[in-house]
Amino acid sequence: MNVKFIILAIILAMAFLTGCSAKVKKIPLEDVGMVGVMAIDYIDENSLKLTVAIPQYSPVAKEHTQIFSVTTELVSQGIVDIEALSDKKVVLNQLRVVLLNEEFARHGKAREIIKHLFRNAEVGNKVLIAVVKESGEEILKEEYPDKPNINFYLNDLLQPSINTAFNPNTNIHDFVYTQTNPVFDSIVPLLEKKEGKIEINGIALFKGEKMLRSLSKDDALIIQALQGRKKLAPLYIKLNDNNKEEKMMLDLINSKVRMKGNKSVDSPKLTVSLKIEGTLVEYKGEREGRLSTPEEILKLEEDVNKEIEKDISKFLESLKELKVDPIGLTEKFRMHYHGDWDKTMTRETISKLQWDIHVETSIVSTGTLR
Amino acid sequence: MSTNKRKLLNRYHVVFLVQSTMFGTGVLSLPQRLSSLGYSQALFPLLFGVIASLSIWPMIWINSKYKNENLFRINEILLGKWIGKSINLFIVLQFTLFLAAIISSYMNLIQTTALPEQTMTIPVLFFLLLLTYIVNGGIKSVARFCIMAFFITIPMLYFLRWAIEKGEMSHLFPLFNYNGHEFFEALRKGYLSILGYEVIMFYFPYIVNQKKAYKHALVGIWISIILCFITTIVSVLYYSEWQLENIEFSVLHLFKAGEFSFIERIDIIGITLWIFLILSTAAGYLWSAKKGLDSLRSKKKKYHVYLITIVIFAVVVMPISHESQKKLFEGSHYVGYLLLVWPIFLSVVHILRKKQVQQ
Repeated sequence: MNVKFIILAIILAMAFLTGCSAKVKKIPLEDVGMVGVMAIDYIDENSLKLTVAIPQYSPVAKEHTQIFSVTTELVSQGIVDIEALSDKKVVLNQLRVVLLNEEFARHGKAREIIKHLFRNAEVGNKVLIAVVKESGEEILKEEYPDKPNINFYLNDLLQPSINTAFNPNTNIHDFVYTQTNPVFDSIVPLLEKKEGKIEINGIALFKGEKMLRSLSKDDALIIQALQGRKKLAPLYIKLNDNNKEEKMMLDLINSKVRMKGNKSVDSPKLTVSLKIEGTLVEYKGEREGRLSTPEEILKLEEDVNKEIEKDISKFLESLKELKVDPIGLTEKFRMHYHGDWDKTMTRETISKLQWDIHVETSIVSTGTLR
Repeated sequence: MSTNKRKLLNRYHVVFLVQSTMFGTGVLSLPQRLSSLGYSQALFPLLFGVIASLSIWPMIWINSKYKNENLFRINEILLGKWIGKSINLFIVLQFTLFLAAIISSYMNLIQTTALPEQTMTIPVLFFLLLLTYIVNGGIKSVARFCIMAFFITIPMLYFLRWAIEKGEMSHLFPLFNYNGHEFFEALRKGYLSILGYEVIMFYFPYIVNQKKAYKHALVGIWISIILCFITTIVSVLYYSEWQLENIEFSVLHLFKAGEFSFIERIDIIGITLWIFLILSTAAGYLWSAKKGLDSLRSKKKKYHVYLITIVIFAVVVMPISHESQKKLFEGSHYVGYLLLVWPIFLSVVHILRKKQVQQ
């Protein structure tokens, strides 16, 4: 009994005494600066400019976002430097977007930085990555009068919506995955600053570690379609034969792609069949008014098929020339190959690639008017 | 104590004791350990399952020859008092180190993910307190905890949904893309992850239906193997080969792929829930180690559990370098393999000395 009492007394005393311990106090939430957007700009081979945007929660503050910029060699060192500038403890737990400046990406530095973030347990894997044409710092510092706050704005912008379905929204996992998977070359959305707004201007195509060039929205759409995305952006098609110009817009309902390789690495041939289903929302051309009969629609569908086949073929031709594979076409050959598959094999395969494309468009409706 | 009263474990207890002691920290890094196979590792856990099913057979056979004795006693009976006891001491030491290795690797994970700004001494202490509490309740309490742990953690399978959605089916092909060297490398490193079923040699005397023990143990083994199989297959779908090789705790990153609108970091939930699995694995081993100490000193004492726990605590928090600690743990892992072969050796001795022993 006595012993039990003593033990109880000791435990109680310890419980009350914990408050007196000299441990570092936990930081209250108001004193934590949660970085929402991080921008990295190229300075030279060794150093980079790190800019972060931290939401400011104080109601009396005039600006809703704090922006700090430092020059540094390592990201984590930069964060420590920023902490010295800021009145708060800077953490990366709420990081949503990382912007890389185009020059930085072209110098092949992106992989290093993103791998560092991938390693960091504080950072989630859903942090979005984008390449910025000019300077990331300027994008963060620009005023966007009609937007709540740069953190939300960028995050919302980079989430794919149906009208920007060409946008290959890339998070940290995707980037590391495509960088380290030999059958892929990374693609990342490309942003450009306009007066008072930011625009997704296309996509940045990487070759290995380095950014190679930018691709247009149309090319991006082809990549997305061939990668098997179901919902695609509305498709603008321009038919141009016999000097008769026709323009139309297709709202895509569904798309389905099937790719098959011929299992040969020496003479690779790919059979691609793409089925798309859509609504004809707008048409301009000589067939206007005649499109009410099924026969006419069928004819139009065939013309559209040919046009899309031509576009895809042209795009693949350019990939072949550049020896890059953002779609992962070579995966179809790797999956039948015994032995190690590396990047040089991807380059070789893509440079020898032959293809056969079948597109099957079906126009489901032409609207409610005849 | 009457023999009837010793029979405590029904079939569900056996199934989940086998299952839970196998499924602990190992599976967290299983895809990484198998990474020498690249994408072809997906089917490998099934092979492990076959090996485990075969290697558990001699264990149960030797035990069924001595229905009321555990392996420590069998060692003494078959090999004589002194050799038997020194082997038992070896086993107890191995289990202690193995436990320290499990706990230290899990605590490392917790430190890097959930509590990056804390030392681990206090959490380790609380973990061990809880562990001794479970073990003090006897093998039935351990078994019940294992059942509970299984049903609490099994919903985590749902967290794999996003990784499966994003994964590429084509990674599974070609199915057998490795050479002999890579095969043995994966076998050597990976099999550690599914060790744990050998503990059945120590609680066998407590099983009610000993004739069906093999069947029940098999069910337990294959539940674990299927879970391991799911883990490797989802990892293969979701990762590139480089990622398989370099991500140490791949399950953690699989959970990271998840998105709920109301929870930001599913991985933290998953990894902290994992403590149930670690506890259930550790409890099985600790209980066996305690039995070993009992048989070494030829008397039952409650403080034996605390003794072992204190040693574990000392090993986990001891201020030796990380490097030598790692080497120590690795060594104990390989000794663990010996325990798989041991019952075969014992069986041979049993056949040779049958008459002598029975006299």
